[in-house]
Amino acid sequence: MYLVADISIEICAAKSCKLCTQYCPEANTILYSEEMGKDQGFKYGSAYVAVDRCKGCAQCVWVCDNMAKNNAIKMIMIDQLPKAALTDNITYGEKSTTAVLASPVVG
Amino acid sequence: MSLDYVKFSNGFEKFMPKEYRDMVEHGPFGKKVSVSQVGSFKEVLEEHPMCAGCAMTLFIRLAMVAFPNPEDTITVGTAGCGRLAISQAAIPFVYGNYGDQNGVASGLSRGLRLRFGDKPKDVVVMAGDGGTADIGFQQVLHSWFRKERFTTIMLDNEVYGNTGGQESGMTNRGAVLKMAPLGKKFEKMDMLQMAKVAGCAYVATVVPNNPRRVESVIKKAVLIAREVGSTYIQAYTSCNIEYAIPTDKVMEDAKTVENDRYQFTEYVSEEAKQYLAERYGYKEFLPKPAAAIPNKA
Repeated sequence: MYLVADISIEICAAKSCKLCTQYCPEANTILYSEEMGKDQGFKYGSAYVAVDRCKGCAQCVWVCDNMAKNNAIKMIMIDQLPKAALTDNITYGEKSTTAVLASPVVG
Repeated sequence: MSLDYVKFSNGFEKFMPKEYRDMVEHGPFGKKVSVSQVGSFKEVLEEHPMCAGCAMTLFIRLAMVAFPNPEDTITVGTAGCGRLAISQAAIPFVYGNYGDQNGVASGLSRGLRLRFGDKPKDVVVMAGDGGTADIGFQQVLHSWFRKERFTTIMLDNEVYGNTGGQESGMTNRGAVLKMAPLGKKFEKMDMLQMAKVAGCAYVATVVPNNPRRVESVIKKAVLIAREVGSTYIQAYTSCNIEYAIPTDKVMEDAKTVENDRYQFTEYVSEEAKQYLAERYGYKEFLPKPAAAIPNKA
C-alpha cells in the first residue's frame, strides 16, 4: 500500500485558501468543490484529492501546515481511506467541480 | 492551431476517454483562466512520469495555466526531465534534438508568422539547464542575437538529473554530485547577463514557490515575444532526487534558495514596456504622469 493526501473537509471549508491546489505538482489532482463544504453547513467549499493521481509527495502537507497554517492535510495509506474521489467520478462545472466519493481500492 | 483542434470529430464523441471529453468541455481553451482558479477547470497537463514532488513539474504546470492563449501555443523541448511532462499536455509539443530546440523554435516561429500573418501564435521553448546553457548554448545565444520572437524558459535544476547527476554549467561552484564527486570547480554561468547582452527584451528569474508570480512572468514573456523580441525566463526547479531533498521539503528548499541566490529579478526593455502598456494595458509600465516624477533640482 502507499500514502496519499487526505484533506479534512471540516478544517478546509472553514478557511478555503486554495493554496494546495496551486502548489500540487500534479495537474488535476487537488481539485476544489463548492458543494463539498457548503452541503455540510460550512461557509466555503473544500479542496479534495483525486487519489488515483496523487503520487504521495506530501508537498501539499507542507504548504497547508507552514504557509496556510491550517494543518488540514494528512498522508494516509490508501486502503485506510473509507471513501475518496477518483478521476472517473469527478464532474467539472462552470466554476467548481463535484465528486462522487467511492472506495479507492478495487477488489 | 486554433480552437478547432480541441473539438470532437463528428461521431467520435462517445468513444473518447473521459480526460479528453473533460478537456474539450471544461479545458482552458478560448477562456481566460488564472492560477487562482486551478482546481476548478480541467488543466491542459495530463498524468506524466516525472518523480513525485518534482518542483519542475510544478513550474511546468503553472506555466501551462499561465499561457495567454493555450490553443495558439506550441511548446518546444529537448532531452531532459522536463519534456516528460511538457509532452503530456493538450498543447502541441515539438521535440528538438539535444541542443537544437532554439533552432527548431526559430524556424517554427518564422513559419507560423508566414502562415498565419498577424494572428498571434506563440512558441515557447522549455528546456533544462543542460539543454539551454551547455549543449544548446550556441543555438540559444544565436537565436537571441537574431532577436527571434519566441520565449525561452530554462528549467534550472542545477544538475543533469535525468542521467545520474553530472554537473552542468548552471551547477553552483563546489556542489558535490554523484557524478561530480570532487565538487564543481567553476562558477555557475550567468545566463541572465548573457541574455541581456544578447538583446533579450525580457529577462526574469523566478522560483515556483510563488505561483502568481510565475503566472505573471510567463504571461509577460509570451506577450512580449509576440512582437518585440526574444524573452528569457530562468526558473529554479530543484531536483529532489540528485540533491536529496525530501519531497515534502521541496517548497522549503525553494524558499531558501530564493533568499540565497535566486531572488526575483525582472528586466523589461523600454520598447517592451511601451508595448505591454499600450497593447495589453499593463498599468505598471504606463509612462508616469509629470507630477509623479520627483523634482531633481
